[in-house]
Amino acid sequence: MNPAQPSPKSRVKRDMEAVAALERAPLEADAELMLRVRDGDTTSFTLLLERHRSPVVHFLYRMVQNQAVSEELAQEVFLRVYRSRATYEPTAKFTTWLFRIATHLALNWIRDGRKERGQESLDEDLIEGVERQVADRQPTVEQELLYQVRLREVRGAIEMLPSKQRAAVMMHKYQELEYSQIAKALDCSESAVKSLLFRAYETLRSRLAHMA
Amino acid sequence: MECVTKAKDGAEVLVDYCSGALSEVRAREIEQHIADCSGCRQLVESQRELWRTLDAWATPEVSEDFDARLYARIAQEQSAPLWKQWMRRIFEPAAPVAMWKPAVSLAVACAVLAVGLVVRTPAGSQQPQQMRAEQVDIEQVASALDDLEILSPHSAM
Repeated sequence: MNPAQPSPKSRVKRDMEAVAALERAPLEADAELMLRVRDGDTTSFTLLLERHRSPVVHFLYRMVQNQAVSEELAQEVFLRVYRSRATYEPTAKFTTWLFRIATHLALNWIRDGRKERGQESLDEDLIEGVERQVADRQPTVEQELLYQVRLREVRGAIEMLPSKQRAAVMMHKYQELEYSQIAKALDCSESAVKSLLFRAYETLRSRLAHMA
Repeated sequence: MECVTKAKDGAEVLVDYCSGALSEVRAREIEQHIADCSGCRQLVESQRELWRTLDAWATPEVSEDFDARLYARIAQEQSAPLWKQWMRRIFEPAAPVAMWKPAVSLAVACAVLAVGLVVRTPAGSQQPQQMRAEQVDIEQVASALDDLEILSPHSAM
């Protein structure tokens, strides 16, 4: 596999090889795979991408609340992982490193105020989410509307959190990372993470209490 | 068992309990406690409700062409001139580099150097000034003594 020049045929072949490799070694450590990427084994990069693509995109989606931007940022995350393969050292868990990069990019994007520019597609995403719900469970119109309202409120409440608190909640609630991993991703102490999380949950509990 | 919320990290323990992060023994202790403590029970219930609410937030599927776009970017980057690739590695590092850390060290070093220069310079230049001051004083005293001598009745004699 050569990720540098993928033709449609080679991509299919590569994907099949990657899936086969995943089946052969489902529990292979991420750091081990990354070390192989460092040694020039690009199939291992495909495996890592296969494993972490969705978690990273979903984390970024919840951070920036825009699908196009979240995918753009996720591409940048994996691009940076690939770019730094030569100097990679497994000093921490691979996921910690990965989410450190993702958090850094998301916080920068939020800080730079690029959110306003990409706001148009937010409602589009919302409809997309609802459509999926409709297909999955076939709810009534009333249930659809209720879901839309709930979703909007949840997104609004999370959006209002300070960006570091938001990142901590996303990593804790949805990615189920340990405190030590969140601390490394946010470049702060574990006690600071606990404090961030507690304040964030307290705020969310009070903002979303009426939905209970 | 004393109320969990009275402990320093009490509320955090309850959040951990809700997320299933506590050990089995500790979780059982908390369970027994919240059965009797209405305050903790309320907090646990509201936290669980919050988690259920957050669970409702589904995320869209990743685009099918995500990998293709990524590999195209990798290919594009690899075909870029070497200097450009190095510039990217330096200015777009994978993990954030705390640029303020070396900057703070440099600032402290500069400050120490500056203070050292300021403290040292007057010490060197103070001595001649002091000596000059002493010389002036001696001259003044001498002339004052001469004046006194001229004015004194004995000198007229």
